[in-house]
Amino acid sequence: MAPPGSWLSIPANSHFSLANIPFGIITSKHSQAEKRPAVAIGDHVLDLKAFATENGFSGLPSLKESLEVFSQPTLNAFAALGQPIHREVRKYLQDVFSEATSHPQILKDNTALQKAALLPKHETKTHLPMQIGDYTDFFAGINHAFNVGTMFRGPANALQANYTHLPVGYHGRASTVVVSGTRIRRPNGQTLLDPTADPKVPSFEPCRRLDIELELGCFLCSSNPLGEPVPIKKAHESIFGFVLMNDWSARDIQTWEYVPLGPFNAKNFGTSISAWVVLPDALDGFRAPKLKNETSILPYLKEDREDSVYDIKLEVDLTTPDGATTTISRTSGANLLWSFPQMIAHHSVGGCAMQTGDLLGSGTISGKGETDLGSMLEMNQAGKREIMLAGMDVRKFLKDGDTVTIRGVCGGEEGALVGFGECVGTIESAVVFTS
Amino acid sequence: MAAQSWLHIPTDSHFSLSNIPFGIITTPDSQVPHPAVAIGTYALDLAVFTENNGFSGLPEFQAHLSVFSQETLNAFAALGQTVHRAVRRYLQSVLTEGSPHAALLQSNSGLRQKVLFPLGDIHNHLPMQIGDYTDFYAGKHHAVNVGTLFRDPKIALQPNYTHLPVGYHGRASSVVVTGTPLVRPSGQILDNPAADPKVPIFSPSRRLDIELELAAFVCKCNKLGAPVPITDAHEAIFGIVLMNDWSARDIQAWEYVPLGPFGSKNFQTTISPWVILADAMAPFMAKGLENESSLLPYLQEKKVDNMYDLELQVNLTSKQSNTKCKGAIQQTITKTTSRNLVWSFPQMLTHHTVTGCPMHVGDLLGSGTISGLDASERGSLLEQTSGGKVSMKLNGGEERKFLEDGDTITMTGWCGESGALVGFGDCTGTILPAVSL
Repeated sequence: MAPPGSWLSIPANSHFSLANIPFGIITSKHSQAEKRPAVAIGDHVLDLKAFATENGFSGLPSLKESLEVFSQPTLNAFAALGQPIHREVRKYLQDVFSEATSHPQILKDNTALQKAALLPKHETKTHLPMQIGDYTDFFAGINHAFNVGTMFRGPANALQANYTHLPVGYHGRASTVVVSGTRIRRPNGQTLLDPTADPKVPSFEPCRRLDIELELGCFLCSSNPLGEPVPIKKAHESIFGFVLMNDWSARDIQTWEYVPLGPFNAKNFGTSISAWVVLPDALDGFRAPKLKNETSILPYLKEDREDSVYDIKLEVDLTTPDGATTTISRTSGANLLWSFPQMIAHHSVGGCAMQTGDLLGSGTISGKGETDLGSMLEMNQAGKREIMLAGMDVRKFLKDGDTVTIRGVCGGEEGALVGFGECVGTIESAVVFTS
Repeated sequence: MAAQSWLHIPTDSHFSLSNIPFGIITTPDSQVPHPAVAIGTYALDLAVFTENNGFSGLPEFQAHLSVFSQETLNAFAALGQTVHRAVRRYLQSVLTEGSPHAALLQSNSGLRQKVLFPLGDIHNHLPMQIGDYTDFYAGKHHAVNVGTLFRDPKIALQPNYTHLPVGYHGRASSVVVTGTPLVRPSGQILDNPAADPKVPIFSPSRRLDIELELAAFVCKCNKLGAPVPITDAHEAIFGIVLMNDWSARDIQAWEYVPLGPFGSKNFQTTISPWVILADAMAPFMAKGLENESSLLPYLQEKKVDNMYDLELQVNLTSKQSNTKCKGAIQQTITKTTSRNLVWSFPQMLTHHTVTGCPMHVGDLLGSGTISGLDASERGSLLEQTSGGKVSMKLNGGEERKFLEDGDTITMTGWCGESGALVGFGDCTGTILPAVSL
């Protein structure tokens, strides 16, 4: 489907084509203290607060009573208006930017409003797009789960008995979710320098097995009361939009701490997300079937459609302190056994209260090969193999100064790409502890 | 404390002059949640007290008065322990017979009418806005009891247990205030755990359990990447409440490997409404459980008496006794002490932030289930019933393995002498039948 051209010059390979219209939170060069909503369009950002204040939404009368949502420092109030409003606003903005816009006076011919609200991206800074009440990480990348399970238990017992029956997940730490570009400090913690020793005596060290996890994130836009589960049929209506996620992990800290209550300090030192929330409508043309589940699942998890995941082309780059960049993984966002609606239904089935702004992680996404893996643990085969980088450098796990960049984009048609931009983080050296 | 209040306070009240716990209430006069303290059988409305110059005798607090018109205690907590201490002691003085500040309220019947509400006339709300909730596992006897149910007693505890405060991130949205009814959760359970292959069914939980815990609220932030050293960690504690970490044991058994408990916990977590400040607990500290392991330096606390020393009690009221008897019979099923922990809250907070994890004002830390050594001191029904094998016998002839619809669980806790008790009041919840999907 060829989208309309825009009167705004948008690079043909931009992730933020007219087909996208993702939402974020910005500050700008000339208004640095005030966080406010925006959409990304080409190499520009539309400041929605300025746009709303200067009557940019006058062509959308249904929004008249709700305009204050665009003066908030997070997208939560906008998200809470619900999918029908998101849909209308996105369509309206697509129209406003179209060459053949039905509202030329709003922006195309309005140089004053363009000056006030249409900002070059390099003059803006992005911030966490939502206030996150709770963050949950799932484990729905079955190839990742299989690879990791095989390392510890062999292929026959790689997956636990529950894996194909329910979307396994654990509560994460909301306070450590940060926006792309935030520097990530190597954590210190308890690790076993010799895992084979008996008795096991930990030492306190900077993490030596610092890893990435390539994931998708999903923000929610509705709240269910405590005690009232979200039925699977309605779960997709709870989705505001999607981001890329890097669930940085400290593998040595994880190994020592995680039995029996799950990963904790191994995860809570930082979780990065991309800045621009891509709405489900923008991804609708890129639906794909979930990975096949051989198990017969319980009715509360059964979806009406199998194509409830998205074929997002995901790439992971590692840039060393020398500046050499290697693409260490290329895979698809469809490599999931469970969809986000299924995760929402399962998460709330006991009565758990989900809320607008909650963040769900998909779990590490890996393909079935060697160049499509979502974590270095899989790439280095539990630390046995070195990952070859450009410039003859090698890695097993991350070094100080390494930068990891996750990119994701759908579509191949120029001028119609729907992408997430980047999710970037650079590793800083660990805090030095003096006893 | 020898001082008496000019208010009549029953000698068995948890809210003696020695306490002064803080909460959030609504009253017949104001449906907007706002701060209060509990004193005897009354709530003292801090919003109205402040509006009427109640803090005129505390000049250093004048710059901060707006914290008591907020809907949560977060702004007050963020002011730090020095301010909490000053405000608490000032309020004690206002309520003490013959003190320099007594006249402010004692002889002002107009103001007394506006600010003092019988506790039965007010509603309690969540005292803080909770950014993150973490549950720890520091009740060593509980960990041994539970470990023994699944493993050889010699290896009941995992090797990591005595080296680090084991914990997991909980669901902040599950935390509710006492009195909130609990809808029995449904989920995937194994009808026959011994079957092979394991095929789950979808069912209301048949093994609904309690967990008796203490929980601490945080009053100090640290930035991402900036751990809180053990020497400073105690300053980050605002105060404590009781917590019931309701658990669905059958849902837990099926889901928890390898990522920990999830749906078995996130349906509800109940806390008591009145936060006992760290300052009020200062005279009631004691040694906790011995830790045989040599601790890494970042966890070593100088203070030997680093545990709160409270009596804790769990009562069960069954629906039957509720309906059959005039005045429901509350049967005590557990009595133990909060000394039965092997890690302190400062140690938990230090461990939690050692990776650089940020804490925020209002964050909640659960201690983990508290059990003693004796059979009468078990903080969960799982332990009381030896894994659901042995029924508890209740008064009136009923039996229980796990909770039934209509059961009410009341947790309570206190320290101090009669007439000077420092306690939580109650942490209660009644089980409602599961919803059908």
